Formats: sequence, structure tokens, C-alpha cells
Amino acid sequence: MIAFFYAVVLVGIAGLISVLRLILGPTVPDRVVGVDTLNTLVVAGMILLGAAYDRAIYIDIAIVYALLSYIGTLVIAKYLQGGLA
Amino acid sequence: MGLIVKTTARVTIPLIGIFGSYIVMHGHLTPGGGFQGGATIAGAGILFLIAFGLGEMKKRYNKNLYSALEGLGGLAFLGVAMLGMSVAFFYNTLWHNGPVLNGKPGTLLSAGFLPIMNLAVGLKVFTGLVSALTAIALWRRWKG
Repeated sequence: MIAFFYAVVLVGIAGLISVLRLILGPTVPDRVVGVDTLNTLVVAGMILLGAAYDRAIYIDIAIVYALLSYIGTLVIAKYLQGGLA
Repeated sequence: MGLIVKTTARVTIPLIGIFGSYIVMHGHLTPGGGFQGGATIAGAGILFLIAFGLGEMKKRYNKNLYSALEGLGGLAFLGVAMLGMSVAFFYNTLWHNGPVLNGKPGTLLSAGFLPIMNLAVGLKVFTGLVSALTAIALWRRWKG
């Protein structure tokens, strides 16, 4: 059980590093890639915390977050590509 | 968008729709409910608009149907709230002495009018968000 919390801490450190890229990123695509990485790490953290607290229903929120973060990245990519045409 | 995005959207849109319907239907048992599930299904609509473009969305989207469905969601919420009007407004008469939806707590067909209200709110949120975002996408006057 405590191993899951250590894994969450590791994922959190990785998330902090991607937030660093988000702040420092010189161009916009750098920041988009940083957000995408952070989304995936947040999904991993949610699933690990669901296992750590022993609640299966927390996995549902991770699935919803994974689906909607994909749409968010797609919207930014479409905007950078040249807008809604 | 490109071919990969379109093909992925063909796979993902039913998945998001089914998962949002699951969230709406199990609103009284698991986290989520009408608004969260409706917003998730509206995410499928936004994915359709993004992946296939505005031209395809114009063909599939019917303004009058979505407007009517949004009104129907609100009316269903109010109508279910008025079911127990002989006792009080929002009295859960389906749970106390109703014919349906009064099963054992924790099962799907329990909690009285709550599943019906979740369905109504989910329908209202889905149609409202898709209508709002399609209307925003149709706004083409950024060149002055």
C-alpha cells in the first residue's frame, strides 16, 4: 500500500519537471508537449492514488480525464495548425 | 484534420459517448452525474467538430432538434420534481411509494427520481454545450 504512495511521489516529481518545461518553454509547441506530458502523468497519478486508497471508482475519473485531455490537446493542435476550417 | 485523427475519432467518439452515458446512468451510485456525464458526451461532440470540421458538423447538426431537446431536458426535470406535489415540491414519491425505481439502495433501479433527473440534466447539458460550441464555431466575422 505504501509503495503506491512512493510511486505517486515519483510521478509528481516527473510532473514538476514537465511544469518546468511549461514555464521555460521558448516556443508554443514546447508548452503544448509539456501540457500533454503533464496530462498523461496526472492520469498515471490518479490511477496510482485509486490503488493506494483502494477505491475502484476513482479509476473512472482517470478514464474521463484521459479522454478529455486528448480532446484538449487536439483543439490546441488544430488552432496552431491554422484554425477551424 | 488528417487521416489519423479522423480514424481515431471514429473509434473514440462512441467510446466517449458510451462512457458518458455510463456516468449519467450511474449518477446515484458512483462519482459524476448529470452535469459531468453530459459534459463528457459533449466532449464527443467537440471531438467530432474538431476532427471532421465545420462542414460535416453543419450537415449533422440540427438547431431545432437540439433546442427542443434542451427544453425537453429542463421540462423532464421539473415534471419529475412535481410528481409528489400532493406532499411537497421535490418530494421523492417514486422512492417512498412509487411503482418503479424503489429497489434496494446501491442497485441501479433505486433512489427514486434521481436517475430520471440525472438523465434530464445530462440531456440538457449535452445539447446545450454542443449547441453553444457549434454556434461559436459558426461565428465567422473575425476579419471585421
